[in-house]
Amino acid sequence: MSTKSKSAEKNGFAKSKEPSVWIRAVSASSQWPDKEEFLDVIYWIRQVLGIILGVGWGVIPLKGFLGLALFVLINAGLLYFYFSSFQSIDEEEFGGAWELTKEGFITSFAGFLVTWIIIYTGLYYELNETL
Amino acid sequence: MWADTLLIVFISICTAFLGEGLTWLMVYRTERYQKLKTEVEKQSKKLEKRKETHGDTLDRQQKKKIEREEDKLKHNNRDLSFVKMKSMFAIGFAFTALLSMFNNIFDGRVVARLPFLPLTWIQGLSHRNLPGDDYYDCSFIFLYILCTMSIRQNIQKLLGFAPSRAASKQGNSLFGPAPGQFK
Repeated sequence: MSTKSKSAEKNGFAKSKEPSVWIRAVSASSQWPDKEEFLDVIYWIRQVLGIILGVGWGVIPLKGFLGLALFVLINAGLLYFYFSSFQSIDEEEFGGAWELTKEGFITSFAGFLVTWIIIYTGLYYELNETL
Repeated sequence: MWADTLLIVFISICTAFLGEGLTWLMVYRTERYQKLKTEVEKQSKKLEKRKETHGDTLDRQQKKKIEREEDKLKHNNRDLSFVKMKSMFAIGFAFTALLSMFNNIFDGRVVARLPFLPLTWIQGLSHRNLPGDDYYDCSFIFLYILCTMSIRQNIQKLLGFAPSRAASKQGNSLFGPAPGQFK
């Protein structure tokens, strides 16, 4: 999270009366004077969500195309809800909903695949092999 | 098999830190790079703002100004790429050697089981050098690339080395926004 505070200081928002990024990220309809800051929040939420879904899909275990499709749907849908309803920001300021959906998506997808594969291999395949 | 899977994740964490460390030593900490980077960031933001306010204008003078700034930015971006290039080549060579070493170590070994069937054009990668036709088996290179994609990018971001959004949006850097991501 160091990049966030750094960029905030650089742009001179750290000294303003805005509450910290963490508080603003979890409270509804916060003010985001620094666009980069909000994009960083979206980025990191995506990464955490990717890991959580990866672990979840591995434990269940979800398999095949369904797992991939559900990830894409939940990742895009949840974040869309987050920025359009919860934070209710003006998408156009960020270049449209597509730009916000793209933010960190590939990285999150890769992280999701890695955790999904690791947990699935460890929990199910390895076990079946030894039995 | 699981030990191999975890080992590969560990390897890619190490190589990501090594790569960033080397790049820091050779590029990021140099004065020239830092100066150019701040310059490019400043210019990208300025240009974006100018485009926003005067984007649709037919005013010739404004258009000329925008063009001039674009040229300047392009020039600086090219300089930035050249500063990076030398070390990128060195690191690229080192990592190719490392990768071929790991490739030899894991040659023919199934390192993980995929919970999905990869698309046909990815199967060449996910089943590289593996015996048999079971395409759910995962090869070293596929897992390594996936790990690198997620881990390296996140490490870059955490350390603050990732290229700024404004710059990568505006810039026409020689290597695109994230050079050497798969090394």
